[in-house]
Amino acid sequence: MKIRRSWLAAPLPAIVGLVVAGLVAGGQLENHRVYLAGRLIFVAPLVGLLLTGLLAVVMLIQWRAEQSTRRTISRHQAQAAEERRRFLQRLDHELKNPLTAIRAGLANLTWLPSEEARQDVLDSVDAQALRLSRLASDLRKLAELEIRPLESTPVDVGELLYEVVTVARERPEGGQRRLNLSVPQAPWPLPAVEGDQDLLFLAVHNLVDNALKFTAPGDTVEIRAFEDGARLVIEIADTGPGIPEDEIPHVWDELYRGQGAQGVPGSGLGLALVQAVAKRHGGQVSLRSRAGQGTVFTLRLPI
Amino acid sequence: MATKPKILLVDDERAITDNLTPFLERSGFIVAVASNGEEALHRVSRFEPDLIVLDVLMPKVDGREMLRRLRHEDNWTPVILLTQVGEATERAMALEEGADDYLNKPFDPHELVARIRAVLRRARPGQRPLASAWRLASGDLTLDRRARRAYRGSKELHLTPKAVALLEYLMIHPDEMLTRDRLLDAVWGWDYPAGTRTVDTRVAELRRVLGDDPDDPRYIDTVHGEGYRFVGQVESMA
Repeated sequence: MKIRRSWLAAPLPAIVGLVVAGLVAGGQLENHRVYLAGRLIFVAPLVGLLLTGLLAVVMLIQWRAEQSTRRTISRHQAQAAEERRRFLQRLDHELKNPLTAIRAGLANLTWLPSEEARQDVLDSVDAQALRLSRLASDLRKLAELEIRPLESTPVDVGELLYEVVTVARERPEGGQRRLNLSVPQAPWPLPAVEGDQDLLFLAVHNLVDNALKFTAPGDTVEIRAFEDGARLVIEIADTGPGIPEDEIPHVWDELYRGQGAQGVPGSGLGLALVQAVAKRHGGQVSLRSRAGQGTVFTLRLPI
Repeated sequence: MATKPKILLVDDERAITDNLTPFLERSGFIVAVASNGEEALHRVSRFEPDLIVLDVLMPKVDGREMLRRLRHEDNWTPVILLTQVGEATERAMALEEGADDYLNKPFDPHELVARIRAVLRRARPGQRPLASAWRLASGDLTLDRRARRAYRGSKELHLTPKAVALLEYLMIHPDEMLTRDRLLDAVWGWDYPAGTRTVDTRVAELRRVLGDDPDDPRYIDTVHGEGYRFVGQVESMA
């Protein structure tokens, strides 16, 4: 929290007092005996006025604090409403496409002459239905992630990364990228992280999956981990095309798909899931990207 | 079974019952439909189904309530509940209700047929199913489902919560080949990327803690290229 500037005035009287005492102690000022005396007719209203002034200052400070809280809340509310509106728009978009394809396919079914052509339509309708199922399943995951109890066991991150990389190497894209994994052994091996093994696997897997999806054959994908005493840091870096600067703040939004993601398969929920997993573990995830050079995602988890 | 098994399908969504009914009939079942729990309870006494496929969210009497009433009347007709069983609390609740199996919507209708066949194979008419027992035993292995603890003899086994849930599901489906996808859906309640590995890791944990040799298993057998099977004899304990 920022310290309010008006608070800096609070210690001022104490400082003045200390300076005077200092001057007396140093001999620059004579140590006079001081009395405060006056007629009741002056003292009573003076004390009253002083107390009222003090009270007024306290109340003013409180009022300003309330004002600022109210402003922050309404700003957050406006932001949440805007995010919700954008989310619904994207959801609408994600539902519309497969549904349009399904309805078009079904409309064709009645007049298509050959059994083969009808089978093609049915296969395509089935694929779209599956796409909708996946979307529903990912949305449910995201909703559940925020409330479901976490399993908390010590997770060997080195082992987990090795598993993720093994899975990635088995994929066709994995074979076409230079996939490097580096996990330190010196001066000591990585410490364990307390958490839900399956969810952490999901988070790292999604980041590596993204790196594979958004790079071209010949690109490099590096997966590395280290610790700084308080946190375990996992980095997934690639030499892909990078993310345009104006898109970076949005990549964590549910169902958001950037320009570069057109035509790339996925529901647009992968990174939102990563962020939810990181948060549930008391960690955070961030990214840095340079257009034309690449992207690095950093997942930090408490140890 | 010489005659066709009778299935009572309970769901308030016409689109679902209209499409599932012919599919189930083609798969060799006689099907009756009810659109809510109240109607279903009436049909149970006259239709006498061999198995009930029951949706949870319905108007009037919902699936959970219907199942409770059924079991309260000591009716142990096998029930497949169409619901989510991700979490421990959910599972405990489902256990108290006494469902025999679960399936998450949206599901592949072939998977439903596979579930129905498996539950019918397992069913012991008129008897409480393993799925409604609080304690299960196989040899010297016991599983206390309420406390979520497993023991070999009197020694407690140290298992992660997920491994306990996996062991539980395997033990209530003894001698049944369970695919990795099925285990993911039923135990994790999620599909995970590279999910089959997720299952393999937990099975390895179970085997390590149970001291089970994969080449000569007493408990968990690998069905190559397909999944796993609990090979021990399982009994319910009071």
